[in-house]
Amino acid sequence: MRLTSCFLASCFLLFSCRNGKEDNTPVADSLKTKDSPVVSRTERPAANPYATVDVSPMDMIYYPVDYPKLKMTHTASQPPMARVIYSRPHLQGRHIFHEVLKYDEPWRLGANEATELMLYKEAMIQDKKIKAGRYTLYCIPHKENWTVAINATIDTWGLEPDSTRDVARFVVPVKQTQNNLEYFTMVFEQDKQSANLLMAWDDVEVRLPFRF
Amino acid sequence: MKKIIALLFVFQLIFCSLMAQSLPPVDKSPMDMSYYPVNYPVLKIQDKATEPLAARVVYSRPQKAGRTIFGGLVKYGEVWRMGANEATEIEFFKPVKIDGKKVAKGRYSLFAIVNENSWTMILNKDTDTWGSFKYDAKKDLLRTTVPVQKTDSPLESLVIGFEKSATGCNLLVAWDTVKIALPISL
Repeated sequence: MRLTSCFLASCFLLFSCRNGKEDNTPVADSLKTKDSPVVSRTERPAANPYATVDVSPMDMIYYPVDYPKLKMTHTASQPPMARVIYSRPHLQGRHIFHEVLKYDEPWRLGANEATELMLYKEAMIQDKKIKAGRYTLYCIPHKENWTVAINATIDTWGLEPDSTRDVARFVVPVKQTQNNLEYFTMVFEQDKQSANLLMAWDDVEVRLPFRF
Repeated sequence: MKKIIALLFVFQLIFCSLMAQSLPPVDKSPMDMSYYPVNYPVLKIQDKATEPLAARVVYSRPQKAGRTIFGGLVKYGEVWRMGANEATEIEFFKPVKIDGKKVAKGRYSLFAIVNENSWTMILNKDTDTWGSFKYDAKKDLLRTTVPVQKTDSPLESLVIGFEKSATGCNLLVAWDTVKIALPISL
């Protein structure tokens, strides 16, 4: 019994450290950024003592689009080429500019852990060759265009990207839309023989072209 | 005039909902990520990581939503994807040992066969797949059985994480009133 309570206590301690994610621990406070939630986190019916469900949930996208489902249904005609893992902050009544993001300031293209791009094979992104491997992605939004950076520091938290570790930077035009997308959304779109990585939030979209 | 405004409003609502449908909605079972060392990305930016990166799990978190989980939603004796949506993935950033067996660094899928008193944990080489619908036992790297422990109160969301152990770390899986620990030697 004593052992069990020790175990539980240690679990709680260990996992409460992890709650640096969108939580209200001191660690999280120091990490809160402009895309942190404005509402307090809640989980019904009881709090999870190990790891709370994130306010900005994580998501994953593949190219070919929906690759895991294609694989499951044996309709994948080619191997996976790219995957992005990112977290999805939401507007909660705010407007993307300037209530969440500011022009000309780096943004982690997500929340929590740095947004990860995995290339299963070499890709041409815009006009640059990028080797297979894992990278982080971030951007610097401007009014007319965004700079999207591929960075070599991986398995990191999204704040304060180190631009000296940038592998490549791309400038992509901003498209204003009539949408009001609540959740930040990334998706690979098929475009003839290539793919666009769509990054969309609120009434703004940018697309980064990939060829494999 | 009011009618026109109302009509425009309705059109805009329809338009927005159509637009919203064309992009992926937020998952009902949100994805999450756990590292060993615990909270590694935060330690890394604070220069507090004392051990190198060893492992990462990427999984989706289904919720209990009033259901009986083990023996109910998750049937005893059947392969369970231990998550939702994409197959749960574990990546080792260095060679490790599980149940005395060598596991090379790399990405694997994780499954479990749940029973009342024990779970058989399965490390499988088929990655980037959806759930356990096309689970192929021929691609198993290893299977090992761990005992079930009971938690004090039911957990609403599935949780997978790591804790430090004497020989490395344990992979912890907990949901509803059940938890298991899979020892990993580093």
